Amino acid sequence: MEYLASNKIAIVDLATRDIMEEELDDDLVLERIGGAGITKSLYDRFADEVPIVLGTGLLTGSLVPGSSLGVITAKSPSTGRVSHVPLSLDAGMELKYSGFDYIVIKGTSEKPVYLWIHDGILDLNDAEDLWGKDVWSATDHIRDLMGDDLIQVLGIGEAGEKGSDLAQICINYWQSGDRMGFGNLFGKKRLKLIAMRGMGLLEIAEPEEFVEKCGGLLSAVKSGGAANIRGIAAMAAAFGEEDIEGWLKPLTHKHMACFNTSVPTNTFVFLDEDPALLKETTVKEPGFLLTDIAPLLALKRLGLTAADACHVLKACAKFGIDGAAVAELSEKTGLTDPEAIKGSLPNLKGPASSSGDAVFSPWAAVGNQEKDAWMRRQAVAYIFGLHPLFALMAPELNEEKLLDISSLGTELELTQETLDEVIADITG
Amino acid sequence: MGLKIDALTCTACMACELACGYHRDDAFALLSSCIVPYRAREKKNYIGIILKEEDSLIAARPEGTEINRIGEEQDPEKEADASAKPMLLRESCDLCEDLDDGPLCIKFCPVNAISMA
Amino acid sequence: MKENEPCNRSDDKGHPRIGIYTGRGTSHSWLWFAEVFDRIGFFDLAFLTETELRGDALDRCDVLAMSGGDTFAIAEGLGPEGADKVKRFITHGGVYIGSCAGAYLPLHSSKEHLNLFNFVPAKIGNLTRTLPEARGLREKFCTAYGCAYVFHPVREAVRLTTNGFAPFKKAPSLDAPLYGGPPLIAGGSAQVLATYSGFTEKTVFLVDRKLASDTLLGKAAVIRQKIGQGYLHLYGPHFEHPRFTVANQLMTDAMLYDLRLDPVQIHETIASEEIISGEACRNLLKDIKREISNARIVAVGLETLPVQWTIGNKVYETAKIREFIEPVWRRIKPLEKLNRMRLLPGQAGRLLQVASETTALLREVKRDLKSGIDTLYKAKDLFERLNRTSTLFLEIYFRTKRMGNSGIQELRD
Repeated sequence: MEYLASNKIAIVDLATRDIMEEELDDDLVLERIGGAGITKSLYDRFADEVPIVLGTGLLTGSLVPGSSLGVITAKSPSTGRVSHVPLSLDAGMELKYSGFDYIVIKGTSEKPVYLWIHDGILDLNDAEDLWGKDVWSATDHIRDLMGDDLIQVLGIGEAGEKGSDLAQICINYWQSGDRMGFGNLFGKKRLKLIAMRGMGLLEIAEPEEFVEKCGGLLSAVKSGGAANIRGIAAMAAAFGEEDIEGWLKPLTHKHMACFNTSVPTNTFVFLDEDPALLKETTVKEPGFLLTDIAPLLALKRLGLTAADACHVLKACAKFGIDGAAVAELSEKTGLTDPEAIKGSLPNLKGPASSSGDAVFSPWAAVGNQEKDAWMRRQAVAYIFGLHPLFALMAPELNEEKLLDISSLGTELELTQETLDEVIADITG
Repeated sequence: MGLKIDALTCTACMACELACGYHRDDAFALLSSCIVPYRAREKKNYIGIILKEEDSLIAARPEGTEINRIGEEQDPEKEADASAKPMLLRESCDLCEDLDDGPLCIKFCPVNAISMA
Repeated sequence: MKENEPCNRSDDKGHPRIGIYTGRGTSHSWLWFAEVFDRIGFFDLAFLTETELRGDALDRCDVLAMSGGDTFAIAEGLGPEGADKVKRFITHGGVYIGSCAGAYLPLHSSKEHLNLFNFVPAKIGNLTRTLPEARGLREKFCTAYGCAYVFHPVREAVRLTTNGFAPFKKAPSLDAPLYGGPPLIAGGSAQVLATYSGFTEKTVFLVDRKLASDTLLGKAAVIRQKIGQGYLHLYGPHFEHPRFTVANQLMTDAMLYDLRLDPVQIHETIASEEIISGEACRNLLKDIKREISNARIVAVGLETLPVQWTIGNKVYETAKIREFIEPVWRRIKPLEKLNRMRLLPGQAGRLLQVASETTALLREVKRDLKSGIDTLYKAKDLFERLNRTSTLFLEIYFRTKRMGNSGIQELRD
């Protein structure tokens, strides 16, 4: 695969420590397009070996608006279904630029390990020093060890290490869209984290025309309905959820976007610093990045203040546990005191309905949306590598346009028929 | 004539960095870009944008924009920061002079945080 | 000059063996020589430390290329033995190409160590007892020179006019970058090949413009001096900077023009080398790529830190780290495509060892900078290791390229 790809698939066996590499064949892309289309195909190929498959969308890392998405495909220990979980923020982009399009992780390591993926090199290293660290400490440690603060980390905390079904793979210091308990899979495999960094380059088949079309798509999005949405609260309100903007405002520091995503769907709150402060704070850990609306809404419903809710979510992120599940189970057990909720994390057990009933993480199931339409739109997002929430907010990026721009960028004839088939396959 | 960057509006999406990298390399890459959102203080959520111009380095910070003229003496009293002398090996901004539509970073910024000065 | 086109020289001269000095006192600009010669197709390069140069390495060279750095440190490192070897090399027919610090080195001087290299009766045109007012870049503006100073009026691209005679025939004027090199006042039998004639849009003025004009314009930028059977070519600007292709061409034309007719014949002993290919080659390249990638990642991150180190008389910014790493990084892919390498015994191991140490040191420096710990001592070590890493790699690379019909695609691809 010459264009918009690194042309590499890695297959890592954690038990034998063998690492094999394959080329990303054009035929596979013609048949499965990309993202969850191919991660599912790779999952099926190695299904007997309990694989975790990481991947990127066909357009991830390009100038197509919203092209931030990476994907993890695996069998959820919570639901038993083969599911897809989004990698947002800068993680999807970094995976693409680190030199691999897809990575299959199979087997179980004897001892704790981590993957260091950089510039087309995949190193499997011992993680004895990392095991037992919370998510934040582990991310700090690996960035310090490798000497770069822009390394993107997919890691687990104590929840994953101890085999909780609610364990989440976190992105750097923050909660991710993993509602499927994939953190538990990492823990079972004794995979503490995956660190990624790369200075890759993606060739484009028709660069001028491709970029021109990207500009056109962005213009369409900018004049569309999502144009003025800023931050997690505004996004939730736009989807018809409770308007928590006023509740959150006293803590709001800045709204942050995922890679090349026009709508900033994340909000950074300051908990131990004046949110109005503009210059760099001297406080080491002044706050938290809110990336998931559902737990925030649920904790508000429990009567927590915004500050307490954010402190709870920060604790969840450090522990590496799904905040939505925590909020749900706290409500079930009548826990409303934030300290009590934080204290309950080590012993919290599912099941929780936060993992939803679809193959795609319900992280992007915000508001009341028609299920089939939502499923299809998620499938499209996961195949092409679009931010799943943004994809719902930007109907301007329709399937026809995505196929057209994909064909332009790759010189491969990608058809609606193929897309329909892949969607059917991955949505089961 | 140069670029004006509003760090308060910026959402650190990196579209500008990618667009500029494309302008340099005719491919999607980030290493050659002359405009870079500074993301290395993630836990503190302190984001600035560094722009390398012909004669100066622009550091667009939330608290204000700093222009460090290349060759001019720095204030020794000023605390060293991430923008004082970076990116010396990168090409300086040419405002995409070969393109009819002007700077690609302006075109691709989704929140209009970049404009012509 | 087109890629793969034979150079403009007599065919019976053969490919020259070019020694590039990479030892004590050099900065990163020797890599530019390697870049230019690689592009032209001269693969018979030897990377010489001060120890090797003091030994018999120059006996096996046709050309000695001495690039930029700290002239005093170079002179001290080479010492009387090195000075003697260099002089012998030139008088016996060798061509000495001195750029920037390499141009200062053989000029007449009374200063300790430098006075061992008084080969060329030319003077420095930017010497002063009273320092003018610096407009900026104070750390790069001047160098102490005994009781006086060498000051640098401008940096970046300047305009030169050539004399129009062989060997500088092809271009009446050209631009070349000046980074502390001398304006020269030629004396005796020295031939002026080019003079400073103007400034460009890119020129950065470190002093008042009038003073810069008075100091530079009209003075020699390039001089050629015969000693015995050989020649010295002294360049104030860096004619070897890869972005200045006209300057590159003139420099190599001049080199070939004065190259002796019976170049050193090197009979490389295949028996002592190993040629690896296939999986062994892929694995070795992967190991090399791993270390260089690790180093590069740290280096890119360091670029945003406002740090510089004064090592000897030279100032090093964090961005200089990548100046050593990128030439190595760019050459890994061609070797991967070739899937064959030619090495001396133990060479791969030494390279991996030094590269690994370099990465570890880079990470330490990053950590220390974040903690506010002084890093000067480690930085000095770091740049020495970076130098060694790139030297070891390029030795392997050029040794491989000399295999002939190597099929390595030009780096420009």
